[in-house]
Amino acid sequence: MGATKKIIIEPVTRVEGHGKVSILLDENGQVTRARLHIVEFRGFERFIQGRPYWEVPVTVQRLCGICPVSHHLAAAKAMDVIVGADKLTPTAEKMRRLMHYGQTYQSHALHFFHLVSPDLLFGFDADPAIRNIIGVIKKYPELAVQGVMMRKFGQEVIRLTAGKKIHGTGAIPGGINKNLSIPERDFLLKDMDQQIEWSRGALKIAMDYTVEHLEDLSDFGAFDSSHLSLIREDGAMDLYDGGIRMIDSEGNKIIDHFDYQNYSDIIAEEVKDWSYMKFPFIKDMGTENGWYRVGPLSRVNTADFIDTPEAEIARQEFKALTGGKPNNLTMAYHWARMIEVLHAAEKMKELLLDDDLQGEDLVVKGERRSEGVGLIEAPRGTLFHHYKVNEDDQVTMCNLIVSTTSNNVPMNLAVEKVAKKYLSGTEITEGLLNRVEVAIRAYDPCLSCATHALGKMPLTVSVVDHNGQIVDKRST
Amino acid sequence: MCLAVPMKVIELKENGTGVCELENIRYDVDLSLIEATKLDDFVIVHAGFAIEKLDVAEANERLKLFIDLAEAYSAEDNG
Repeated sequence: MGATKKIIIEPVTRVEGHGKVSILLDENGQVTRARLHIVEFRGFERFIQGRPYWEVPVTVQRLCGICPVSHHLAAAKAMDVIVGADKLTPTAEKMRRLMHYGQTYQSHALHFFHLVSPDLLFGFDADPAIRNIIGVIKKYPELAVQGVMMRKFGQEVIRLTAGKKIHGTGAIPGGINKNLSIPERDFLLKDMDQQIEWSRGALKIAMDYTVEHLEDLSDFGAFDSSHLSLIREDGAMDLYDGGIRMIDSEGNKIIDHFDYQNYSDIIAEEVKDWSYMKFPFIKDMGTENGWYRVGPLSRVNTADFIDTPEAEIARQEFKALTGGKPNNLTMAYHWARMIEVLHAAEKMKELLLDDDLQGEDLVVKGERRSEGVGLIEAPRGTLFHHYKVNEDDQVTMCNLIVSTTSNNVPMNLAVEKVAKKYLSGTEITEGLLNRVEVAIRAYDPCLSCATHALGKMPLTVSVVDHNGQIVDKRST
Repeated sequence: MCLAVPMKVIELKENGTGVCELENIRYDVDLSLIEATKLDDFVIVHAGFAIEKLDVAEANERLKLFIDLAEAYSAEDNG
């Protein structure tokens, strides 16, 4: 490390307060690697031990407020296994699915319209004073309104499926605690076609942007990688359930339809001394080659098809760009994310027209087990919840692998690629800073915004010169 | 994993933004995604946007959980 000097970019604005990036240079001033330091809150596993298992789906959604529904449902799915509910009633499963598509829809809309669209509409080099949502509201007022309305619709879906907005208590071990009444259904259905129309528009923006800027984007934080997601039995994209599929950068299936109850047989997590966040990898492939990407890009890459008509056409257009091979561009995440927005909208309509949602049979139970795993495709990627429960109903073990953790290596690599291309000398130009942000933002990392707020999470910023000496250091 | 600690709105500005605070940590926050925000409301903040308003009971319930969690973190940190 003696010959390596560091440049610290901090904070990575709009990706929460805790992202800190170090770009490491050798003594010739060339970029050797980049590191995104994410302050990870250790202690959750210890915190959850001793709590009753049925409380966990509610507790996790209270803590994980950025994507509460995903954690809620992943925990509930693990607890389904604990209570022996191997097959939910149609009403319970479809209510959960509706809730999940509502969450995906609002999360993707928030990310695309409020965080990403300024970069796409104004360009990476635009003045940050303009390149923000206020700038979008001024120049593209209709678009800004659509973003707000799409997010609001997703929130309404969550409210009506969960009972309360965002932090509902809809899913319980073995099922759901409410169905959807006819008035609730009609309330949502009346806006559904408008939502689908807006989704088409958002998809078009993302697709046109990618195609028009393909030459630049092909060299922007792009790299070959494996992709992992859940997949339905017939190979369809499924955001709620399925087996694990992983493909390599060429599209060859490395893992397929793997029962996620046994995920720990194939996936391990590496700890590195410079990051609190773990690095998951496929055991057989080792830490060097076993990492993978998750999220919208990976899901569109792994799926054989999408089971809603318009999103399937969009998927085919997406795949046509790369001749049927996986798309490995970091910036293609946005296009893939908007394919999922359209898919979620189509799925919500399909579900709202299904009278199973008005069924009365809400909960099933079976033979009690002591261990359960729940996986779900959260907006940001595959989310793992794993629990062990004792005879007194207390949780004795918990392990979570969150989507942003799986994208840890990929985000570091994306930043490294950008740094190698855009860093000139040792000066962090605004252009470089913007591009590092843009690359990280493509992954929509859910870094927590205030984990240090209780005084337990100091944030330290260091600048280290080529001799390894810290020349500047600041703590929050 | 990422966490979302409730923050209190301590200042409202004319342009739809405001200042949120928790234990002396302050952020400028865009409040345009939630409706009818008042001073002393509790909100969840993501990427500079308030994404959810909480009632006082729910906010207190969560803060209690976060205090427990902070204790677990300290225990972990001290081995």
